[in-house]
Amino acid sequence: MTPAGIRWIIFAGLFAVVTLSYLVVVDFGSLSSPEVQKSYDYLENLPEGAVVMVSFDHEASSLPEIQPIALAILRHIFRSNLKPVGVSLFAEGTAIGYRLMNKTAGEFGKKYGTDYVFMGFKPQQIAAILGMGESIKNIFPEDYLGTPVEKLPLMADIENYDDIEMVISIADGSLTVHWIEYAGAKYGQPVMAGLTAAMITSYDPYLSSGQLFSVVGGLKGAAEYESLIGRKGGGTRGMMAQTTTHLYVIVLIIIGNIFYFRSKTKSGAKQ
Amino acid sequence: MKQRLPVIICFLAGAIMFLQYFSPHPVARSVYSAILDYWQIIFAFTLLVGVAAYVKSNLKQISRGQDIPYRLVAIAGIILMPILAIIGGIKIDSPFLWVFENVIAPMQATVFSLLAFFVASASFRGFRARNLQASILLGTALIVLVGRVPIADMISEYFPKLTFWIQNYPSMSARRAILIGIGLGSMTTAFRVILGIERTYLKGE
Repeated sequence: MTPAGIRWIIFAGLFAVVTLSYLVVVDFGSLSSPEVQKSYDYLENLPEGAVVMVSFDHEASSLPEIQPIALAILRHIFRSNLKPVGVSLFAEGTAIGYRLMNKTAGEFGKKYGTDYVFMGFKPQQIAAILGMGESIKNIFPEDYLGTPVEKLPLMADIENYDDIEMVISIADGSLTVHWIEYAGAKYGQPVMAGLTAAMITSYDPYLSSGQLFSVVGGLKGAAEYESLIGRKGGGTRGMMAQTTTHLYVIVLIIIGNIFYFRSKTKSGAKQ
Repeated sequence: MKQRLPVIICFLAGAIMFLQYFSPHPVARSVYSAILDYWQIIFAFTLLVGVAAYVKSNLKQISRGQDIPYRLVAIAGIILMPILAIIGGIKIDSPFLWVFENVIAPMQATVFSLLAFFVASASFRGFRARNLQASILLGTALIVLVGRVPIADMISEYFPKLTFWIQNYPSMSARRAILIGIGLGSMTTAFRVILGIERTYLKGE
């Protein structure tokens, strides 16, 4: 078989595995990793009315993995009567973040301006993060909808990071590092992250040193968080697909190695 | 003077930014705030430079007859999006956002999803136990692949622990070494630029 033919079989196999996995619902139980549990416990123990900043620092491309994480955390925030201030340091995360916050707030009957706000996008992430340490109102003089910040009751008592309990950066890249290095190191702002699975290991040193408070990582992290808040969502639904895809890749690696050793044995025998 | 003046400006800017970090004095704070504002303004102008370079590069390729349809789509995109934003704004329910949500976002998700297919194909063709080092890498990858999905707990309670151990010790040691290297390198480069030893930024194109 030609290499192109083999590639097509691999692609078709992956397509079939992912598609069929979404048709099967398997309950993997309520397991949670220490990091996800730590994130949950922190938000759970915050007093009602505490302000948290949720930063949507991701592109649209990672939405299928990022959205379940953001949704689970936002549901927990609204359920616990915390007050989120939404921002985005990535242009593409702006509309996504706004829609997501609005949708989740609607589920809990929260009112815009009083229970939550969305400030929108600010370019030049480092300058924006540092600037918010001095004055959030200076960086965001109006919210995403164009309402002056003075007219938002929630923002009345928020000046800078001193009034924010936790920054939750929902990211698919290295933007959370800027939060850690500038908001965390310079202003002592605790930072939590919701990350794609591919990025988790990049943040392990920050996590281990305590510079990053905790991580909800990948679809598995989302599923664990959904399990903790008792509301299944995209994370739990995607677990079967992720599991079977991982197994599929493992099978491919094994088959690839069998072919490799067979060809090696044959070439050795010929010599 | 053509060389000396930028070096002096660079030194003063670097020294001021370095010193203000350690000062809570109101003057230092206000200087810092002003610099942050200017930073945003300069960034806006760099965007313009980027757009101009992007259009220029694409027009050049079109004039050479290379990838004309793709280049036209690229130029159309970079012209269309600002026009939509200027006419209808960028807020919810604007045409700009409609294009973003219904064209750009699905296209990006599609391209990103293709990664799974390439990973599957590459794992079949490239992940071979050719020698001891490759075998160790392969074994580690298999453990982490299983450990990152819920069935790991069903196989054995030690599987996720083993995955965490790999992430927290061998993997993290390497990451830390890289991060410390980057940190020291950044610091050295910053000092070289501030002190005028590194002057490549003065050479232009």
